[in-house]
Amino acid sequence: MNLKRMIFKRSIEILVVFFIILTGLFVLFHLAPGDPVSMMVDLTMTPEDVDRLVQQLGLDRPLWTQYLLYLKNFFRGNFGTSFHYGRPVIEIISERLPATILLFTTATILAAMAGVWCGKLIAWHKGGPLDATVTIFSLLCSTLFLPWIALLSIWFFAFRVGWFPLSGMITPEIWVLPNLGFWAKATDILHHLLLPLLTLCIVNTGAYLLIMRSSMLETIKEDYIITARAKGLTEKQVRNHHAAPNAALPVITSVGLSLAFSVNGGALTETVFSWPGIGRELIFAVSNSDYPLAMASFMFIALVVLVANLIVDILYAYLDPRIRY
Amino acid sequence: MLAKRRKETFNHLIFVYMLFLILGCGPGNSDENMLRIGLMEEPRTTNIWLASDTNSRKVLSLIYQPLYTYDPDTLELVPWLAAAMPQFDPETISYTVALRHAKWSDGTPVTADDVVFTVDLIRRFKVPRYFSQWQFVEKTVAVDDTTVRFFLSEPRAIFLTKTLVNYIVPKSQWAPIAQQAENTKKPLVALLNAKISSPMGSGPYVIEQWRQGAFLHLINNPHFFGKNLVISNRRLGPYADSILFKIYSTADVAILALKRNAVDYFWWPIQPGYIDGLRGNENTKVYLSDRSALYYMGFNVRHAPFSDPAIRRAVSFLIDKEFIIERVLQGFAAPMDSIVPSENTFWHADGLPRYGRGMTRSDRIKAAYRLLSEGGYTWDRPPVNDAGSVVSPSRIILPDGQPMADFAILTPPADYDPARATCGVIIQEWLKDLGLPASARPMSFGALLQRIKDRHDFETFILGYGQLSLDPDYLRNFFHSANDRPGGWNMSGYRNPVFDRLADESGKAMDPSRRRYLVNDMQRIIMADVPYIPLYNPVAIEAVNTNRFAHWEQMIDGIGNIWSICRVRPQTRQAARDIDN
Repeated sequence: MNLKRMIFKRSIEILVVFFIILTGLFVLFHLAPGDPVSMMVDLTMTPEDVDRLVQQLGLDRPLWTQYLLYLKNFFRGNFGTSFHYGRPVIEIISERLPATILLFTTATILAAMAGVWCGKLIAWHKGGPLDATVTIFSLLCSTLFLPWIALLSIWFFAFRVGWFPLSGMITPEIWVLPNLGFWAKATDILHHLLLPLLTLCIVNTGAYLLIMRSSMLETIKEDYIITARAKGLTEKQVRNHHAAPNAALPVITSVGLSLAFSVNGGALTETVFSWPGIGRELIFAVSNSDYPLAMASFMFIALVVLVANLIVDILYAYLDPRIRY
Repeated sequence: MLAKRRKETFNHLIFVYMLFLILGCGPGNSDENMLRIGLMEEPRTTNIWLASDTNSRKVLSLIYQPLYTYDPDTLELVPWLAAAMPQFDPETISYTVALRHAKWSDGTPVTADDVVFTVDLIRRFKVPRYFSQWQFVEKTVAVDDTTVRFFLSEPRAIFLTKTLVNYIVPKSQWAPIAQQAENTKKPLVALLNAKISSPMGSGPYVIEQWRQGAFLHLINNPHFFGKNLVISNRRLGPYADSILFKIYSTADVAILALKRNAVDYFWWPIQPGYIDGLRGNENTKVYLSDRSALYYMGFNVRHAPFSDPAIRRAVSFLIDKEFIIERVLQGFAAPMDSIVPSENTFWHADGLPRYGRGMTRSDRIKAAYRLLSEGGYTWDRPPVNDAGSVVSPSRIILPDGQPMADFAILTPPADYDPARATCGVIIQEWLKDLGLPASARPMSFGALLQRIKDRHDFETFILGYGQLSLDPDYLRNFFHSANDRPGGWNMSGYRNPVFDRLADESGKAMDPSRRRYLVNDMQRIIMADVPYIPLYNPVAIEAVNTNRFAHWEQMIDGIGNIWSICRVRPQTRQAARDIDN
């Protein structure tokens, strides 16, 4: 099968899967116990108030009518209005997404780069003290409970030492100043980014490192590595130009999917660092039954993951000429 | 060689830049007259009619103002936007309210027309949360620019204590929005979803900038009517030029921010576990305040076995509130003997049954055993043996001869409220001392509400109200038979014609002392029948940083109130001089 046909076939599959997800999300949210209005109530709200609100929000209609309306609106690009914000959900998602992408995509890329680099080095020194130390350290890091290490790093680096801000993405005291220049803003964001980035990298690098290490250990047994050495190439050349590119394929799959899932953010990381990303909104939307916001967020994540899968498949074929679909 | 040098230069540049970032950016030198308040979550909206979350309401309470508010010391009603107490005319059942010469934040006067418009808007759109408090106001008339008269369809006690403490909105901003909303298919939704980026109010502050997800900046309203005015023996400011609301999603980080002088006040109740750390820090001060809250265990009294008051009283004996407060809440709560908290001194009834308070565990079991035995309950192996000692009992047998079926104590999950979830487990064990086959079942809050409030599919539950109004009208909401319906607030299904009569009468009693007498009687009936067992009223624990601001006003529910915002003063000499000038 040639690449174009494969892309076409996979695109059709993606559309079908996406439609199933769309329906699944609707059913799951509407059948789950609790409803948006019950979460809004307080003692000043009478049953009549609740009924009126339910009717105005269209939640009193039969489920299939709501489903058809939901599909119609979806295909018209109308993702609905958040029950709690009173704003179009697309506006809320697009407001939160850049913060999430900035933190999690950067963290994934940096962690992957560090993991690949360290992984290829320690695999080359298999069995040595460096290999043992780094492998144990990586295992430890990848099993760390992220909110715990995040709080610990805030306490030490931000509170005790004072190198980084305690939380958030910007310093409000600076941003309220009039005529704040671009560089001052950029520097402030970068300053806030460093600590969460460092924490995420500590936790994530280990996983990439271990994947790269085991993949490298398989690759160095291959005939073409012996051939490269027989050609008189230096160890560094053999490692960097012959072993590493081939060993990096499993890491690419992992990074591709991690990048896709990075749009989902990390509710715990975002909460601990008060990072204004989409992860926190997702938790809020789900726990308060804000259907439009929750469903639109999940649909967006599903779409990105499906497309990322396709891109990884294409990349595979591009990077490894032996792979054909 | 050249490449190596380039690489080195690049590395050096990166290093210098990082150093600059780390050392060059401090926490941000804020204006010393800027009050920085930490919030746990970002406000969701600035639309007053949509705002259902506490953070939106906190912010909006500094912008929109009511006609009357509560005195922080006496908790009595005091004129706020109004110039004097309302004049009641019993013949026409009307109240006349004179307004102060106040202005909206755009400089235009607050008039009787604005009040009439606000009432009209609430009634026309039947705005949830507000309509029930205004629906008995038949007509609102602007007598002149600063006098407004409310005609009630019948006498209603809550008019003074609840209705008149609602916010007034400016007609000039809301009239076009209301008109536009009325022309849509769903007027209420259109009104709730109306975008109000810069709400116009008569309060001490107005919104200057809202950076979604990061901060909300409020600045002084130059037209605030209260500036330099003395109300309830307090000279009002506000003295802070602006307020910066910062978002801290976890209490841990907010506490660190307080200690590090990054925020002046964290407007959120904090857990007792933080107190020692805060008290040990020279920059922070902890405020412990009474709350008007109710945490309770409820029964489904619609059917057996909990339709029998004897078994509910027996359970009351078994629950050791002091133990719960000491072990679960670390002592930061008060035990409750009535649905109305004892901190609400005017309405709380004294001399109510205290069900086992001060008794030992075995005395509690014996008292409960006695009650149930007299009520016809039996055991194969009773909890108290012939020698009068407490022993492990068999399952209780109901008066109809059937062993009692297993039942659940529904609670919110531990991540929502660890105290209530733990209480469920502790009470479950206590009930087993009497052979009551209970098991605690934490479940998601939405599902819990649906089962209890809508479907009435439960036996017992533990819930709470974090902020009860000071007016005891909620007694009627909780226990009047008219509210025993799906979605109604009488979740227990309690029906008592005597209580209903008292509740109806108290709802119409305009004389406070007469109403107090009726409310006391209502509390007595409830505590005798115990459809709810009141458990505890937690203490509001709050903390401030003392370096920059002082003079917080403590009242019921804490220091986060309009009085504090209008009274808190900067500490620095320069700022104090500026205020004096």
